[in-house]
Amino acid sequence: MEQERDLADYRARLLDALRVNVGRSACGSSDLIQVFVNERRVGLLDGAGTEAALQVQTSTRIDNVQLRSEDGVLLGGLSAPEYGYRTGRIALSRDTIKLQVHNHTQGGSVNAVYIPAPGLWHRAWQTVTAVVQTRVARPATAVVPGMRAVAFTQVLLAATVIGLATDRMTGWLTPERAPLPVTPTEAPWAAPLAEVAKLEQQLGELARMQAKAVETIQGQQQGMAQLQRTMAKLSSTQEAVASSVLTVKQEMEQRRKGSGRDIDRMTRLLMSKTQTEQEQLEAEIHSLTVANDRLSKEMADLAQNNQDLKKKLKSAGLDVSKATVSDRDKPMVARQGETIQSSQPPQVAEARPNAQPQPFLFWVTFSEGTTQESIDQWLREVQGHKGPISEGWQEVQIVPPSIPPDRFLEQVRGAKIVKAVRTSR
Amino acid sequence: MLTGMQPIFTRDAVMPERATTLGRLEEVVSSAEEFDRVVSQGLPILLDRATGYVKRFLRETGQWSEDMAHEKFVLRWGAEYLERFVVCGRSEVPCRSLFLLDSLVARQLSQPEPFCYHPDLLTPLGRLLDGLVARAVISRDALIALYHHCYGWGPGEVIAVTGLNESESQRIYKNFRRWRDSGWQRTMDEIGMTETEVKELIGQQQRHRQRLNSEAERIIRFAQAHYRKSEPDHYPCLSRSQWKEMFAQGYGCDYRIWHLALCLDCLQTAWDLGRNGDSTIEKPHVELHMRP
Repeated sequence: MEQERDLADYRARLLDALRVNVGRSACGSSDLIQVFVNERRVGLLDGAGTEAALQVQTSTRIDNVQLRSEDGVLLGGLSAPEYGYRTGRIALSRDTIKLQVHNHTQGGSVNAVYIPAPGLWHRAWQTVTAVVQTRVARPATAVVPGMRAVAFTQVLLAATVIGLATDRMTGWLTPERAPLPVTPTEAPWAAPLAEVAKLEQQLGELARMQAKAVETIQGQQQGMAQLQRTMAKLSSTQEAVASSVLTVKQEMEQRRKGSGRDIDRMTRLLMSKTQTEQEQLEAEIHSLTVANDRLSKEMADLAQNNQDLKKKLKSAGLDVSKATVSDRDKPMVARQGETIQSSQPPQVAEARPNAQPQPFLFWVTFSEGTTQESIDQWLREVQGHKGPISEGWQEVQIVPPSIPPDRFLEQVRGAKIVKAVRTSR
Repeated sequence: MLTGMQPIFTRDAVMPERATTLGRLEEVVSSAEEFDRVVSQGLPILLDRATGYVKRFLRETGQWSEDMAHEKFVLRWGAEYLERFVVCGRSEVPCRSLFLLDSLVARQLSQPEPFCYHPDLLTPLGRLLDGLVARAVISRDALIALYHHCYGWGPGEVIAVTGLNESESQRIYKNFRRWRDSGWQRTMDEIGMTETEVKELIGQQQRHRQRLNSEAERIIRFAQAHYRKSEPDHYPCLSRSQWKEMFAQGYGCDYRIWHLALCLDCLQTAWDLGRNGDSTIEKPHVELHMRP
């Protein structure tokens, strides 16, 4: 029975402790705050009135972050997400601790920042600054910033005057106002002096606030000016980029057009070259055909001559045999005659072309301004003979060259005065 | 570990008021303020639930006995988990409070050695020492007080042995004072030590001083070995030469305070390195002090 009561008391004490929780700590605001990650102490936050920060990285996933006072009381904590960020603000008696926990694939990290409670003056200044910033941040940008400062000052002055008037009115209307600690002789002067002193103090504060407000406005103006400069620079940069883009486009267009013209020019050049070559080829074929006809004709003439020679030889042999006296010699003479007859015609046939080589014919045109002397000199160099001129083409006959005709014609084309060469009319 | 557990509380088994509170705990809370309100109303239910899970864990691991010491043990750890839930659960909203507690307790009990359990720690002496060392892990006041409870040292001896400088010394005095003022009593309340039990222990010590101190040393070593794992990973045991270097160069102030308080062997290795010629301090041996 006693044990059960003891157990019930213990349970009740634990529940009470859970209800009180943070208030149980006997530590002051200047004491250190312990930071625990996954129930392990990882560092301290020095909360001695100044901002302090603690960063911890772990190689394992973070499950929770706890803040404890030096006497072990759990002040606050944060459950970490499975993956990603979570932030929380732990409010202590006056101060705040900002916690940020981040879990990623390779562990986690904790960032704890101790933010001390701001002082009274700091809070007042923040309020004033916020009011000023709100006014400055309004979209009425047409108003000159200096005018805003004046307007703000006027508003402040008006508020102060209203406050003073209210103070006076409430003072007049309140019957149980506490008497001033002055003697009756001082009374006529004491009240106005006190009022003046109070007014002076308030005006002094107002002047300080105004000065700070002006400073803030100037800061804002400077910021705006800097912003405008940045914007101008940005816009000029943007324009430069746009013009560059345009230039690049134009260049690309020109290149496209230029490449088209080049292709056309190349095509025309190739076509003209091909046409010239075709003409030259046709001229060569024509000259070959002419030469072939001439050769055929000469072959026919040669065959005719050969037939004539055979007939003459045959008649000559008959004459010789008739004139021979001895019979034994007849067959021998006849055989010799046959031998001569059979061997002679080829000698005659081969001897004729050697005696009269076929001339090589070609036609040339000369460059404009070429003198007759230059032409004659060139003809002497190639050992050629002039033929008739037909439609500007000069016929030239030469001894057949020792090099192939094509190469010879190339050499002819390479002469300075020669404009074109062909081998047919 | 808790997978497949049957609900500990059913609606039929509880009173209507309790059932209403339980219903609220099962509903979704969408803000931290609502979480605080619902949880503060349902603290008894949540404590019973967390305690029930710890009890079930001990049963399933063959560590449970039907006695007052085990009941207090599960209450203590149930309250410990519940405190973490109350503080950290606010950041989990929107959530269902009851099930969030279930998941938190499940995570805790799924860890290896979720708490320091040994039959010797369930005796009044074991509960006292276990409570003190466990508190030292989360409280610097309790950590510094360990030097007093285990070896009978005051602030001066602690400062001399750990070789602290002037600024650190002031904190030691503050730790001692706060522990005397409130820390010790709060710890006794949280581990369920009654004034009667403390007085009985003091009586035993007066009658059998040597035997009690010897028993205390055995328990202290066991508890220290368990709770030292909660130290930062970079605080392992060191050799005498390493300790000597640390004391000589004056770094590792936090290291010295934390590790030497939680490691009797290292303290006996390095006890004379930071004394600055103070020869009045003897080599530390366990001399138990029940009160601060």
